[in-house]
Amino acid sequence: MTISYPDVVSLAVPFFIALILIELAWITITKRGGRYETRDAVTSLVMGAGNVASGIVLGFIAWGFFMVLWDVTPFDLGHSWWIIALCFVLDDLRYYWVHRFGHKVRWVWASHVNHHSSQHYNLTTALRQTWTYTFTFMMVVRAPLILMGFHPAMVLFCGGLNLIYQFWIHTEAINKLPRWFEAVMNTPSHHRAHHGRNARYLDCNYAGVLIIWDKMFGSFVPEQDHDKPDYGLVHNIGTFNPLRVAFHEWVGIWRDASKPGLTLRDRLMYCVAPPGWSHDNSRDMADGIKAKHLKRHPEDQGTPGFEHLS
Amino acid sequence: MPLEILLVLVVGGITGIAILSHSLGLSKRRAFQSADDAQAAWQREYPSSSVTDVILSQSGYAALVQTRRSIGVVWTMGDDTCARILRSPKIARVNTGLRLRLADYAAPVIKLELSTEETALWAAKLEGQS
Repeated sequence: MTISYPDVVSLAVPFFIALILIELAWITITKRGGRYETRDAVTSLVMGAGNVASGIVLGFIAWGFFMVLWDVTPFDLGHSWWIIALCFVLDDLRYYWVHRFGHKVRWVWASHVNHHSSQHYNLTTALRQTWTYTFTFMMVVRAPLILMGFHPAMVLFCGGLNLIYQFWIHTEAINKLPRWFEAVMNTPSHHRAHHGRNARYLDCNYAGVLIIWDKMFGSFVPEQDHDKPDYGLVHNIGTFNPLRVAFHEWVGIWRDASKPGLTLRDRLMYCVAPPGWSHDNSRDMADGIKAKHLKRHPEDQGTPGFEHLS
Repeated sequence: MPLEILLVLVVGGITGIAILSHSLGLSKRRAFQSADDAQAAWQREYPSSSVTDVILSQSGYAALVQTRRSIGVVWTMGDDTCARILRSPKIARVNTGLRLRLADYAAPVIKLELSTEETALWAAKLEGQS
């Protein structure tokens, strides 16, 4: 039987463009709901185009890997609608962990960082995607799904749907949604918190579609009305050049790991330790930034995003 | 979707959104309104630093920030801001002011639009303390 799933991300491109135009019109007319800046938006869109191009050029690597696994596995769960639905939920769990690794392992962060490099939060930010995902080797996290008997084409189809869902949550034009929806689904509010560079919001809300994963694994921080997310990186980049946006953290890893006089362990840690790790403790990781924030703002002690710090 | 159609959509979409955004006046560069405004942008990047002096450029596009331990620059780019502590930048005098080259792949160049008097003052401070 020939199995065919549509390339949903490509099919969604006209809708992406239409929704960006609607959001831009909304912000222009109402003077609220976010902000746009030309070079920032163009950089994000070029990063999105580059992501599609890198998928075309390098996609065969992940596909080849998945097909090897498919040949190996004795299981085939078929293509019924409920298997697709189950695959979608399990792939969303896979997304949660890949995304969490993307913030806690510098090698993966080097790929993901560009998505957080805009100081804006609008629908173009959703398209500011990596060019270097293949080199993170995070495709291995999908291996269990395929070995369980979900066809690789189905897994990629579900991943595409996941990506499309995440597009519309990159907006300030929508505040809060009904309570039941906010409880289960990833929403603009939850994802705004994820993009916040405020100490409170560092390393939270990794969900793709279902926010329940963050609640299950202890990484959920609700957006606070009194602490509006400040978007961007802890140390923002000073360029709109897409090449520098795409590769700056890889260059940073190289420069750190190739410093003279380091031990082999230090060099390895510069590659895989959480962002902010340094061999001489001259930089701060997320918990260090939070701890320093609490020294300046002890009133935040015990509030969302700081519960685990004494 | 055929590749040629996808290409037309992507190129057309990016170009159209860029033209529209520019036509709506969204390419205007932000200027700091005051030294306090510039200091707030600096503290956003370096919240723990103790700022001792801020010199705002006449253009409002940049400020020289002196802290207890170092010297740095905060500047606007588009509607955003960026800041860097300066460690041995390569300083070049250009017609419009100063151009700083940093050993920083994510912020390789800072172009400072300064008057002649400002250029002399900023260069002296940067060359003397960085």
